[in-house]
Amino acid sequence: MKLAVCVGTGGVGKTSVAAAMALAQAKAGAKCLVLTTDPALRLKTALRLKDGMYEQQVPVEGAKGELWAALLDVNATLDDAVRLHAKPANQEKILKHPIYRTIANSLAGMQELMAVERIDQLMRRGFDNIVVDTAPSRHALDTFDKPVLFADFSDSKKVRLISRTYKFAEAVGLTTVGRGAIEIYSRVEAIFGTNMVKQILDFYSLFYPIAEGYSARARKTVALLRDPKVTEFRVVTIPSKAVRDGAFFLEELKKRGFPAGMICVNRTWLHAMPETAAAGLAAEVLDWYRAVSHSHLAAIEKMTAASGKDVREIRVLRELERDVEGLESLRILAEQLENPLKWTS
Amino acid sequence: MNDSARLAIFCGKGGVGKTTLSLAAGLQHAMNGHRVLVVSSHPISELALAVSLDGLSARFPQAAPNLFVIYIDPRDLIADLVNKYFPVPMMAKKILNSSVFTNLIEVAPGLKEFFFLGRLQELSERRGAANPATSAYDYLIWDAPASGHFLSTLRAAKNFEVFLTGPMAAAGAQIHRFFSNRKNIQLFPVTPLEEMAIAETLDVAKAMATDFDLTCSAVLLNCASPLCSATESDIAKMQATPDSSPAMHFAVERGLTERQRMVELRERLSLPQLLIPRITNWANDLDLLVRIGAGMDLSQFS
Repeated sequence: MKLAVCVGTGGVGKTSVAAAMALAQAKAGAKCLVLTTDPALRLKTALRLKDGMYEQQVPVEGAKGELWAALLDVNATLDDAVRLHAKPANQEKILKHPIYRTIANSLAGMQELMAVERIDQLMRRGFDNIVVDTAPSRHALDTFDKPVLFADFSDSKKVRLISRTYKFAEAVGLTTVGRGAIEIYSRVEAIFGTNMVKQILDFYSLFYPIAEGYSARARKTVALLRDPKVTEFRVVTIPSKAVRDGAFFLEELKKRGFPAGMICVNRTWLHAMPETAAAGLAAEVLDWYRAVSHSHLAAIEKMTAASGKDVREIRVLRELERDVEGLESLRILAEQLENPLKWTS
Repeated sequence: MNDSARLAIFCGKGGVGKTTLSLAAGLQHAMNGHRVLVVSSHPISELALAVSLDGLSARFPQAAPNLFVIYIDPRDLIADLVNKYFPVPMMAKKILNSSVFTNLIEVAPGLKEFFFLGRLQELSERRGAANPATSAYDYLIWDAPASGHFLSTLRAAKNFEVFLTGPMAAAGAQIHRFFSNRKNIQLFPVTPLEEMAIAETLDVAKAMATDFDLTCSAVLLNCASPLCSATESDIAKMQATPDSSPAMHFAVERGLTERQRMVELRERLSLPQLLIPRITNWANDLDLLVRIGAGMDLSQFS
């Protein structure tokens, strides 16, 4: 099984490129899945996905393999984890806890945790290839740092000790508690108010059994992401960002020990120019196109000179006339992936 | 109303040019002799990855001292609070360095966003149209994060009010009131004329109206094709002698699609629109900012 993880900033068409990569592999005979973690749910439109957390097959005419797509539904994945891993007596308590609602409702944080949980679930389902579309950010790689942080926190003996002591202190009616970590806890409480800290700790004491299993799975998944035999990270960018994005992401990947394999420059204006001269508005439009096109070519060449040696391959995709929405547009992108564009002037 | 009295927010989907337009607007004010503070969603060390201000003081010695760009790290605000609360440095340091504390801050939902909003409100109120003599700057601009995070940031205050009790809930209510008052906020959604970005613009405008009682001032249509501002007759003339080369096919098809979307957007969202043409070649980022800023007069919008 192979994993391809697409990273890139917003607006580069990362979701479409990820879906097209999966489609190209499905056409060639593999059983492929694309997982999007993008809250804008663009893949939903492109692949006509319905709501719900489970993956579904996308019918592709003439494909030797299979194309599947899955959305990362943070709320559903989390609810599912609670129902699967929490003690029956605690399930309702967790699902109705005020902090649980806040956590499930805030995209910051849970998105990352659930992405890794979902990758783990999907890797057991017998796909040849999984293409992951990460959240559109320079910090998308935090996706793979946060679960470890969360696991450490939930795991921490201190938190468990504090939770237990808190319950004890509450039960016997003490308002202040002992030394060491507990002292720090009471200080923190003094700043943020009893309520918030109590609720958070209370929540984690309930959530702990889930977090424990979660933490073990997250560590395993992150280890697979570091294995170059399994995983390849692909930087998706656009010409105006190519030079900076290429250098930035390759450096960030290297820092974390994630294997980089490809830089994919999407939305380039490298269409063939007309042979005859134009006049009027047509001339104005053509001059404008030509100027943009030259700047794209220059950016790609500069990026290749700077970052080309650090990746297996650089791919260049032309921008489509219309937004990538239907499967048809993904087919056009997939064809560009199958027949690499030569861009040197 | 005096625009400088309000916090101008550039919001929209990721990658639409919020940072570029925020800095272009800021630089324009600075070149006109006003003091501007731009609160960026990029840490300063990474800002140059988006838009670089390299060479600002050499090229615009008059404007440079007027333009301030900051990044607010909520972790610093929380650390400040701890330091204030525990004047004994040893104690404050012990808390700040404890893993329980640092992890709590990372995972507490909305806590960082809540502190960020508090500081933004404070910056906004400290400035003063009311008291120009003590005010450090004339304009305040927030280069907001992408729509999803932007909305969850704004909602953090309301969540604190709803889910918590005591002083944090009261602070949440107060911050939410500030950000729901159109006397304090001027919203500029940024979007290219692309389907997904437009859909997000409509979502954000709707959320702003329902959750915050705010109306956007104008939609900034970024990277527009020259066909968006061409006359109908020029377009008809161009189409009379079509050019079938892939380059022209792409440029015309795309430009006309953009033009159509611009009209549709106007029908669905009755707001003023401002076209920001796609700049084709520029020597450096500063050059780009000056050229964009020159064509972007935001003072015309209420």
